[in-house]
Amino acid sequence: MTCSAVDPQELARCRRGVFLALFTALAVVLNVFEFLLPSPAPWFRLGFANILTLCALYLFDGRAAWTVSIARILVGSLVIGNLFAPGFFLALTGGVLAVSLMTGARALAGDRLGPVGASALGAVGHVLGQLLMARWLLVQHDGLWLLLPFFLAFALVTGVLNGLIAALVIEKVATHPAFASQRSTQA
Amino acid sequence: MISALWVRTTVLDRLVVVLLLVWVVASVLWAAQRPAGAHVVVERDGQVVFSAPLSEPRSARLSGPLGETVVEIEDGRARVISSPCPTKVCMGMGPASRYGDLLACVPNHLIVRIEGGRQEDTPPYDLLSR
Repeated sequence: MTCSAVDPQELARCRRGVFLALFTALAVVLNVFEFLLPSPAPWFRLGFANILTLCALYLFDGRAAWTVSIARILVGSLVIGNLFAPGFFLALTGGVLAVSLMTGARALAGDRLGPVGASALGAVGHVLGQLLMARWLLVQHDGLWLLLPFFLAFALVTGVLNGLIAALVIEKVATHPAFASQRSTQA
Repeated sequence: MISALWVRTTVLDRLVVVLLLVWVVASVLWAAQRPAGAHVVVERDGQVVFSAPLSEPRSARLSGPLGETVVEIEDGRARVISSPCPTKVCMGMGPASRYGDLLACVPNHLIVRIEGGRQEDTPPYDLLSR
């Protein structure tokens, strides 16, 4: 089957598919790379993969962000080898809550919310989702909530950092000709 | 450099970050203001192996699969002062004194917990990360 270059709608659909696949692949790579880095404690991750979710959210829409995030968690867990292990469910709940917050805030605030704010919300949502799941699944003890301040502080720092990186990446990628029509329809 | 990044944030971005920062500070204050605990409880694989009041100084040798872990109680605080585990994370966790504080030596299967005035049964748990 050939992709019809004359039908602009078909072309936009193809481009979207290709870009989302690219974002997902990059997110998986960052996810696995982070797994290899030494970490002071379990669950302390930098969350660079979220940069690609932000790219999907800002260059496309909320649905694209969901696609990239969920695909990244599934494929990333498969590569790391913890698919359906407790860590996978922690990542999944964290991811779902993070993307819910980011897409929800974006839908509510529109262009007033930039990648930095969305990233900070996403990082905090990820921490909350993970801790809720950990409380329910792993550590059935309220002492777990004592970790919340540390995780929140760490998440806020990495969230802002990732948001700034995402803002630069989005700005760069948006100048690509493939997004020229996207910009005119979105504006 | 900083200003180049600053212009890429919107007013709402800054507001969101400041609000989250307030929340972080509030949660840190909340964690620092818990009441002091009264008892030290050490568990091995979900079973209580040692229990003592925080008020009287003493030290205890507790055996785990790797060897003896020494827990010291002093000035109303408990800390792990020696451990046979390779990472020594439990020693690095410092002293625990407030209700709900937890010192875990996962390799040696020991969990030191600070309890309130009364002894209570909590379900067994572990700290598997993945």
